[in-house]
This record gives sequence, C-alpha cells and structure tokens, in this order.
Amino acid sequence: MHSHEISTPQNAPFKKILIANRGEIAIRVTRACRELGIATVAVFSDADRESLHVFLADEAYHIGPSPSKESYLNYKKIIEVAKKANVDAIHPGYGFLSENPVFVRACKEAGITFIGPTPENMESMGDKLSAKALMKKAGVPLVPGSDGGVETVEEALVVAKKIGLPIIIKATAGGGGKGMRVVRHESEIESAFRACRSEGQNYFANPTVYIERFINDPKHIEIQVFGDTHGNVVHLFERECSVQRRHQKIIEESPSPSVPMDVKLKMGDCAVRAAKSIGYVGAGTIEFIFDNQTKEFFFMEMNTRLQVEHPITELVIGVDLVKEQIFVAKGNKLSFKQEDIKQKGHAIEARICAEDPTTYKPSPGLIRACRHPQGPFLRIDSYAYPGYEVPIYYDPMIAKVITWGDTREEAIDRMQRALAEFVLTGIKTNIVLHRTILGHEKFLDGSYTTQFIEKNFEVLEPQMFREVNDKVFLIAAAITAYEDRKSKDVRRYNVRSNWRSLSRKIQLRT
Amino acid sequence: MYFEAELKDKKYKVDVHEERHSWKVSLQQDGQDWQHYDISKTDFKHAEEYVSFLFDGKSYLIDVLGQDTEYTVFIRNSFRTIKIFNDEMLLHESLKKGGGAGSNIELKAGMPGKVIEIFVKEGEIVKAGKPLLIMEAMKMENEMRASSDVKIKQICIKQGDSVENGAVLIRFEKP
Repeated sequence: MHSHEISTPQNAPFKKILIANRGEIAIRVTRACRELGIATVAVFSDADRESLHVFLADEAYHIGPSPSKESYLNYKKIIEVAKKANVDAIHPGYGFLSENPVFVRACKEAGITFIGPTPENMESMGDKLSAKALMKKAGVPLVPGSDGGVETVEEALVVAKKIGLPIIIKATAGGGGKGMRVVRHESEIESAFRACRSEGQNYFANPTVYIERFINDPKHIEIQVFGDTHGNVVHLFERECSVQRRHQKIIEESPSPSVPMDVKLKMGDCAVRAAKSIGYVGAGTIEFIFDNQTKEFFFMEMNTRLQVEHPITELVIGVDLVKEQIFVAKGNKLSFKQEDIKQKGHAIEARICAEDPTTYKPSPGLIRACRHPQGPFLRIDSYAYPGYEVPIYYDPMIAKVITWGDTREEAIDRMQRALAEFVLTGIKTNIVLHRTILGHEKFLDGSYTTQFIEKNFEVLEPQMFREVNDKVFLIAAAITAYEDRKSKDVRRYNVRSNWRSLSRKIQLRT
Repeated sequence: MYFEAELKDKKYKVDVHEERHSWKVSLQQDGQDWQHYDISKTDFKHAEEYVSFLFDGKSYLIDVLGQDTEYTVFIRNSFRTIKIFNDEMLLHESLKKGGGAGSNIELKAGMPGKVIEIFVKEGEIVKAGKPLLIMEAMKMENEMRASSDVKIKQICIKQGDSVENGAVLIRFEKP
C-alpha cells in the first residue's frame, strides 16, 4: 500500500537507522530498512560479536559487556553511538529499551527520531491501575472487580458478593506470582486478603490490594493497532496467543479459531477506542483476556511496542508493520484505512527456543548443524547458523518459523512440514514440543486455553520423543562410542572440545 | 566391543563389532532377549559432521556428541542423552577427574550468572543431592546440588554476586 516507486537512498524516509537490539528482531528491522534504501547500524555486546545481526548490518558498534544492563539497556551509550554514527532515527525492536520513556526523551534531546510511541503513551499504559482507569473511561470492558484498592476484609467481602466467586486478589505492586491469591470459597477470603497485603508489604513495600473476578481457563487474544501523528488509529485484527508456558507465548495464530466475527469487530473497535483515548502513535497491541464459554473479553494490558508475533499479522493482513512504523515515525499518515484491512488466510508462528522441551531449562551453547526449512508460504526469522554459540545472557528464542495457509488446517500442515525439515543440533530445542502441540486434539479443534500446556503436559511429554525409536539412538551412540575408542581422529577431537565446556555447564545445572 | 548403556531409567547391554562392510550391533534391555542388527556401512554414512543413517526403511540425519561416557544423540530434533561405558572408559574417566586424597574439590560456575540464594553454611556437612545454591542465567533460575557427600570448607561468593564463567563458588573437603 506504499508508493509505487523503487526505494532509493534519495527517496528513503531516513538516511540511517540504528537498531538498539539484537538477535532475530534486529535482523527483521535491518531487512525493512534495506528494502527502503536506509543504511543500518547494529550495536553489539561482548557476547554478540559473532551474532548474525552484526554481520547483516551496514555498520556495527560495540556498546559494552555481555549483561544487558551494561549494553542493550545502557541507553546513554547507545545514544552516544547513534550520534557518532550520525543516524537520524533509532528502532528499539521489542524488549530492552522499547518501552522506556526515559530513552525516548533522551533520543529527542539528541535530535534523533525514536521509532515508536510517545513517552506519554508508554507512561499511561505502564502502570496497571492507571491504565485500567483510562480504559474504563474509554469504555473498554474491564474484568469486573473493585474500583482501585481494597482496604479492609469487610470491603473485600462486599466486592466478592458483588462480582461473584471465584475471585483473584492481587497486590497493586505485585508481580512474578507474588502477592496473588485465587479464592474459590467465601471462607478463604479473609486469609487470602491478609496474605496478599502482607506479601505486598514485604516484597513490594506496598500493601494495597485489588480484587477481580477470576476468569477460569481463559484465552489470550490480542488486537494489533496502529496510530499515526495525524490522529488516525486502525486495528489489524486479532492474534491468539494462548499456547503459553510460564506466561511465555510459544505458538501464536491469526485469526483466532475461537473469536466469532461480530466479537472480533467489537474487540477491534474497543482497541481503537483505547488507543485513540491516549493519542497512540505507532504499532501497539491491546491484550485481552477472553472467556471462551461466554465469548466475553476484558482489557488486560497494552504493549506499547512491536510484538514478537507481529509476522502472523503481516502475513494475513499483507502489511509490513516495521516499514509502517518507520513511515509513521517520519510523520506520514497511515498507508491504509480501516476498510482496507481484511484478514486473508491463516498464519501460525512457532517460537524456537534453545531449551530442553521437557524441563524448560535453557540450553545455550554451540550450534553444530543448522538447516532452516524452505519452501512455499513459509517465513523464517532466525539468527541461528552452524558454528554459532548461543549466548547465555539473553532470551533463549533463536528463531521464529511462520507459515501461511489458505485455511487453518493448511497452515498447521505446513508448519508440521517445516518443523520436520528444520535441522538444528548441538543444542536442545523445543521443536519436538511444537510438533506435539500442533498434533494435539485441543490445538487442532482450537479449544486450547492458556492452561493448555500445564494441564496436558503429562500427555504431551511422552509424545515428544515418540517419533524416533530408542534403539536408533542407542545404535548411533554405540557405533560412535566404538569409533571414538578406536580412532584418534584429531579433527573430531577438536570439535568435541567445544562440547566439553558446554557439557560441563549442563552438568552443573542439574 | 562391549558396553553398558543407560537411557533415561532403562539399562542396556550393548555389543558392537566392526566388520569390513558392516556393523554388527547387539542390544539387550534389562535382561530381555538380545536383539541383533546387521548394519551395512553404506547405511551408516558420515557426511560432514553428521551421519546419514538408513535403518528399518527410514532415513535419519544424526548428530552425535560424545564426552567421556555421556553421548547426546540428535535425530529429527529429538535428542537423547545416553550414558555408555565399559570398564576401560570408566577407568579413563576416573583418572581424568584426578583429585586424589587431600586435594580440594570446588564447585565452579558453569556459566556467568547471578547468585540468587545460598542454602549452606561453612563447616556444614552436606549429603549428595542436597541443593547448595541457586544461580540465575538466561532469565532462568538453576539449582546446583552436591554431587557427593561433602563438607563445606569455604563459600567464596555471597547472595546477589554476579560471577563469571569458571568462578569458584564453593570449596569442599572430605566430610
């Protein structure tokens, strides 16, 4: 929906963009820039000198030691590099500095365009209670609950009566599972209330708690929105991200198999209203908690950034979200109107992580074989390559496999095919977990919820390793052990030595 | 060549013979009948770092990582860690670990990370399997346990410390 000219450095919206991120998302942004004729600047930490995003950018600068705090979160250093490289804009990717209003203001002071929402957008959505108050004003449905904090047990009982059990009591400042209690019986309210207050006080120095209806077995549905600096806001329909483990998304799909058209249009309207109410600029996502029984939806939070799972929206809508971000940051109007936005076909994304799929322990280390899947209607956003050592400092996600199909069934078949083609050895990955989930009846019929993996793991786990018989593993190990005893192959020994340190790491962790 | 092998909780006896054109591999699981496999060398072919294994009419691309007695085998994105050993390998392994009476044993950080919690005190005698400390790396908490009965001689770190790869965390002595 953009101009019909071929992009050149002369007609590019910016001359040069610094990408304040690493891994696959840094590469994703680099690709958009290159297609637009914009020069790219990568930044990297000690651990990332050999990371693919460094190789693919036009320029690359070292920004500090491996821990994120001293490199990818060190915004002063990043702005210093941006000035030195003479860039006119910074793209933050997701995570790291992408939702940090201090960084956005520092960019502005340095005369550099930040590609993303305004610091005010970030601040109004950053605090849970104030975000909810804003959304209520904008007419976005919230989970029924107390208006703000609840001070006494008596008050808690009144709220519980009003909204009905089960309820969840949450410390306002809480997080990470602390200061949170689900209450199913009235008799438990008093002790849960006291426990949450005391945990809030002890862990977060704030005893304030609030109460909400507990949505049993919900789905996670989110709406992609896009705003520009001219006051336009458009939604790009939904993504379903209910396949989660420990609140980390694993598989996402669009459209959701569970949201009827009239409901998704309502959700889209709400999301647009929510974004408009805060004058939202750029790409953002409104997350809803979705009750699959009643088809009710409630505002959960807004992410003021590009999401990991943005490619599935790109594939079903046909818009390049990163390019759109760049044009909006330049001050252009959105290149599409609401009526232009239609979902076509079905897309699925599988997040491939360097981790043991049974224990979920991270499995950093040296990648030996790496052959990415290829073929029709398939997109791979990956920073893995043979000989690359996955560092321990950052997120374990190393690749995203995204497939498109005319129907949901075709997209699933295509994903199964793609994952079967994916060769990745040396480190453990969750590819077998993905294949097992994709074959599970609850995934196939679309009825899965955010509890799906926890509730079905005992069934999923043995399935994961069923494809290959144990004796194949044993024979391969036995012949190799025999060859190792017999041979003094120096080359093989050297390859081994990389494994040696990794194997020690793994042993120490178990 | 005779080996013993362990895969998860199953124990196997394994016999491997190399002939001019084939491998003869025999497996026996937990006292059940021996199973014999005659594998042509053209069906177990090294290609670059990997092995293309044609077995039972199926085609597998295999990567095997072996270290001492621990072999991790990757096939079709499944993997199994197999302990495979014979007397010679066990002897070799124990010699390599070295140590001997009187030498100090140390727990080192296997990766850079942050010490989240320490469960033991200096002077304490700890049974094998007991958690010693929790380290955080890659956004995950990992519990480190004692691999044998030991006495805690010295704790070299404190809660909240960031440590580099190989840093000594705890020194042990014989209980």
